[in-house]
Amino acid sequence: MKNKNKKGLYLPVDAKINDVVDLTPDVKLYKLRKPRSFVYSPGQFVMASLWGAGEVPISITSTSEIHQDIELCIRKAGFVTSALHRLKPGDSIGIRGPLGNRFPFEDAYGQDVLFIAGGIGIAPLRSLINLVIEKRKNFGKIALIYGSKTPTEVLFMPETQNWKENGIDLTLTIDVECKEWACSFGLVTEHINRQSISFESGYAFICGPHVMINAAMHDLSLLGMPAEHIITTIEAHMKCGVGKCGHCYSDGRYVCTDGPVFSYAEIREFGIASP
Amino acid sequence: MKNEFVLSRTNLPYWLRQLRKKADLIGPSRSLNGDIIFSSIVNIHEMILDCPASIPSPKEFLFPQKEEMYKFSQKGVRNLNDKTKRIIFGVRSCDISAIALLDRFYGGLLEDDFYMSRRRNTCFISITCNNPDPTCFCSGLGTGPVLKTGFDLQLTDLGDRYLVQAGSREGLRMINGFRHLFLLPEKADYDDQYEVLLSSQSIFEKRITLENVRQKILDGKVTDSFWESVACRCFECGGCVYECPLCTCFNVIDWKEKDNKGTRLRLWDTCMFKGFTKMAGNVLPAGKKIMRTRRWYFHKLIHYPEQFGRFGCVGCGRCTITCPGRIDMATIANKLD
Amino acid sequence: MKKISTVCPYCGCGCGLYVHVEKDIITGVSPVRNHPVNKGSLCVKGWNCFEFVQHPGRLKYPLIKKNGVFKKASWDEALDWTAENLLKTREKFGPDSIGMLSSAKCTNEENFLMMKFSRAVVGTNNIDHCARLCHSSTVGGLAKAFGSGAMTNSIDEIDSSRVLFVIGSNTTEQHPMIGMHMLDAVDRGATLIVADPRKTQIAELAKIHLRHRCGTDVALLNGMMNVIINEGLVDLDFVKRRTENFDDFERIVMRYPPDIAEKITCVPAVDIRRVARIYATEKRSMLFYSMGITQHITGVDNVRSCANLVMLTAHIGLPMTGLNPLRGQNNVQGACDMGALPNVYSGYQKVTDKKARKKFESAWGAKLPSVPGRTLTEMFDAAGGEIRAMYIMGENPVISDPDASHVTEAIKKLDFLVVQDIFMSDTAELASVVLPAVTFAEKDGTFTNTERRVQKLKKAIRPVCGAMPDWRIISELSKRMGYEMEYGATHEIMEEAALLTPSYGGILHHRLDNFGLQWPCPGIDHSGTTFMHRKAFTKGMGSFIPIDFIPPAEPVDGDYPFILTTGRISFHYHTGTMCRRTSTLEREEPDCFVEINPADAERLGIKTHDRLSVSSRRGEIVVNASVTDRTPEGIVFIPFHFREAAVNLITNPALDPTAKIPEYKVCAVNIAPVVTKGTSFPRRERR
Repeated sequence: MKNKNKKGLYLPVDAKINDVVDLTPDVKLYKLRKPRSFVYSPGQFVMASLWGAGEVPISITSTSEIHQDIELCIRKAGFVTSALHRLKPGDSIGIRGPLGNRFPFEDAYGQDVLFIAGGIGIAPLRSLINLVIEKRKNFGKIALIYGSKTPTEVLFMPETQNWKENGIDLTLTIDVECKEWACSFGLVTEHINRQSISFESGYAFICGPHVMINAAMHDLSLLGMPAEHIITTIEAHMKCGVGKCGHCYSDGRYVCTDGPVFSYAEIREFGIASP
Repeated sequence: MKNEFVLSRTNLPYWLRQLRKKADLIGPSRSLNGDIIFSSIVNIHEMILDCPASIPSPKEFLFPQKEEMYKFSQKGVRNLNDKTKRIIFGVRSCDISAIALLDRFYGGLLEDDFYMSRRRNTCFISITCNNPDPTCFCSGLGTGPVLKTGFDLQLTDLGDRYLVQAGSREGLRMINGFRHLFLLPEKADYDDQYEVLLSSQSIFEKRITLENVRQKILDGKVTDSFWESVACRCFECGGCVYECPLCTCFNVIDWKEKDNKGTRLRLWDTCMFKGFTKMAGNVLPAGKKIMRTRRWYFHKLIHYPEQFGRFGCVGCGRCTITCPGRIDMATIANKLD
Repeated sequence: MKKISTVCPYCGCGCGLYVHVEKDIITGVSPVRNHPVNKGSLCVKGWNCFEFVQHPGRLKYPLIKKNGVFKKASWDEALDWTAENLLKTREKFGPDSIGMLSSAKCTNEENFLMMKFSRAVVGTNNIDHCARLCHSSTVGGLAKAFGSGAMTNSIDEIDSSRVLFVIGSNTTEQHPMIGMHMLDAVDRGATLIVADPRKTQIAELAKIHLRHRCGTDVALLNGMMNVIINEGLVDLDFVKRRTENFDDFERIVMRYPPDIAEKITCVPAVDIRRVARIYATEKRSMLFYSMGITQHITGVDNVRSCANLVMLTAHIGLPMTGLNPLRGQNNVQGACDMGALPNVYSGYQKVTDKKARKKFESAWGAKLPSVPGRTLTEMFDAAGGEIRAMYIMGENPVISDPDASHVTEAIKKLDFLVVQDIFMSDTAELASVVLPAVTFAEKDGTFTNTERRVQKLKKAIRPVCGAMPDWRIISELSKRMGYEMEYGATHEIMEEAALLTPSYGGILHHRLDNFGLQWPCPGIDHSGTTFMHRKAFTKGMGSFIPIDFIPPAEPVDGDYPFILTTGRISFHYHTGTMCRRTSTLEREEPDCFVEINPADAERLGIKTHDRLSVSSRRGEIVVNASVTDRTPEGIVFIPFHFREAAVNLITNPALDPTAKIPEYKVCAVNIAPVVTKGTSFPRRERR
């Protein structure tokens, strides 16, 4: 990775908000006009910056091959994200990036692919799912398990149906049973072994809360999936996103420059950010 | 050979005074209470060349504890890159070794422009350390008391004269304008320098090579209960990180004033705090003190060698001076060795 | 690049530090390596003490409240308006209708001026400050026992002591640099004994940890003294030659054999015996105490019991041997010394003493009131009644005082309130006039640390635009009220203070360059006093005072089954005016929490991070649970720094009868989980 911003490593570039979509009461989808020379791949993230509030790392949820805009899925969780939530179309968000590595999806060519998403963890996976659909013929069976806490917290509901039509074996699940839900129930991990993909040769891409990621990676490896095939993206406290500030450093690796995408093999070796 | 010179003691103040005309001359002097502090030099004769370790390390001139990065307002953003010319005189070899590593960390493909802008405008005149503190252990790590490379200018105090070695173009430039002050060294000068080195090495009280400690950790011989005994003495002051010439972590904060005006600044940060890795929803990946103290040592002793081929410690002894719980690098290394 | 040597503005340790300044902007701090207290170290607050100084939230101009809204005002307007209102109040209701709160955060000079302003300009002894809430029991209790209430020894002596008995002090968190010296002593073979209900860090490092119940300190100390007397470990020579009233005292102590003490304190009798023997037989024993002793309705009793213990064993009057109250604020010692108290002038000269009053009257050319004034707690009780106006300098009683809602109500009843502060504090929000003052880095003056060391702080940067040093504000105000105060600089104020204060007689700015001087320093050629009560006590003979055990004011019962104790945490400081504007400190502990023992938590079904409602007879706050065995069963602990969950809404305002210090350390509360909707999964956002 090389810094392309000649004005400095930490100076964000303004990106105009073209549209804001309310996905749930506390998650918004921001569509930003893509600055020139912004080339990104699935799995990468940006530092979203608001002068006077600060910067937060946000994964890119759009796919450059498909979407015109850069799409960021932002959950209101702290001071900066609350400030970002007050922005409207026409305002600007400063972005730095794209940062980090990407999903090694070429490795999975010719193989089955299982996506496992929990909550807002669908956001980084969405950029890959859309790309995989675009290159559908390069892959074997494709399945997605997407778990949420409640029906109201499911993101990209219409799009998931679209994915289903494009040949993705979709399992939508919510944690606890309730009436107004027509799909599955239970934690995502309860659905893993019901998938009809080949675990021995297939690939899994996982994103969600730490607890879920750890449990899913563990289960998959018990089902015989090689640790190098189990791939996840990790969240960490970050200030710079370029391997300088040290906040995401853990056991010799920086989540921001060496990650955020890691395989289970790497995570087991380095114990990266596992609380 | 042509990059080595001899400067007579009487000519040093004149030379520095000339250099000061083009840059802020910073050097060690003794404050009223007896401390050695590095600050802008008003009276050149007050500078001290055989001083004990300064607190904090000279990284403060390249990466200050609080640095303003950008000023923002409705009108736009102003980059506050510091471009002040500085000459830092009297820096010790261990610190020069540390700065060489900092250059590699902040430089490279992802270049930290705030650090590098200061770095490009700063020249270091280092000294062969002739008065190591009881806390120093650079000699065991090869980061001092005298350096072979990596410095701009290195001075060795030979009594009535100094042996001046230039190690970089910037260093040579400081001499070139004033060649009439400098002589070429003779054999006696090198002999004297060697004597200074020998006598300096005899003063060291600590002989620590971190290699043994590293091996012990890698072999899994250092138990959790050992780190627990270290962690329970930690005051969580962050002093070890603030003082360390090789610790690079920072936090970025925004100061907002009225009318959307404000400053984005960065501050030294330390991994000794549980909030350092805190994620949204108050998740604390390093909630226990033992994880944080151990991580600091692992970074310096295991991961630095992997990444840079050097230990993340130059033996300056500052953490020994500052740690209120006495769980500094030298103490731990002594316990594990 | 300049480095200015000054003094840390946080706790009573009084660490030396350099403020680094480049182009009038502070770029950092570093510790003073040769300083006798911190020796090249600093705590986390010290390392970060520069951040709030140039924070954009600083008050930059005076504010006058008109129709409930603050309006920007010029200095002249604000000072005229203040003077006019104070004069009006005085004319209408008399001088005693005005109350002054001075500040343990301000310099000695400013406290002296505030005291002069109160007594000579306004004409009232209604002046007090937050020492009322921390160590008024020490000042009162030790005055009676020894004649002087301060640390008897120096911090630098701790390293070489043999026994350290720490009671009611979380030293490593509250006085980290004193904790450092204690650790050094332990490394050199000293025995560390800690008496604290909570398992603090210093307690974990101790050889013996006595976990007595909150508020039973007298019983514990009496039990120890009973052992010492019965086992013949009393230093009889010392008792005979240097003290009085031993017999009365012995009669009371005989009522507390260790097994009785065990019943009251829950500390095993065998431990009481063991500690008593170690403490009495070893020489170079130092006793330390802090808020755990003083903040009780029996605060004075607790302090006197400590004094009894050191006199009984002759552990006083020598280096490394003494009784050491650890003062909380950077200059709380100095504020007391400078007479910001309702009953004494500077140097603890009584206002009722005719001779002393005469001296001050002739020096100041004004008639001074002879009746002691109201204490801080009494002022708020009388607010709206006999107190009509108040002038609060650098304090935030809305958060810091017990039963805080009562204080807010009281302040709202005032006709006129002046608040002088560096930030818009919660108290300043209620003010009629807010005057912007400056921080430690922007002014000259002196601070007196807990070991009586008067140290000079030096101005490092120009005051942020519009703010004025407190001493200048006071003299300007005084001028407008018809009393000229002509001081060109702070050293002139110190000179006047030295002239009028025997213990500060030789303390002049030009003598303080090398880490200051420790009072008593009676003359210009005196080099200060490192340990006190050498050869004789300040008052002559030391007095034993018989002390009976009195239980805390509010016992637990069925409705309120937990004891609540309050305190500080190492990352925050008091009401958070400074530290909560410091990013590192605020990030570390942004939310208030309640520490609860795992056994209690399990019984109530509580997990860490659960929201809990903590209620007492006075109110309720909602805080996060922190399940930890640091706190024993039946006791919960809440830090008091947080305005969102101000624990002082529920603490008990019961007062010590003499010192008027409130019982912060014990009150009865109930705990119940709060049901909220929310996720138990950690939220996902890269931060």
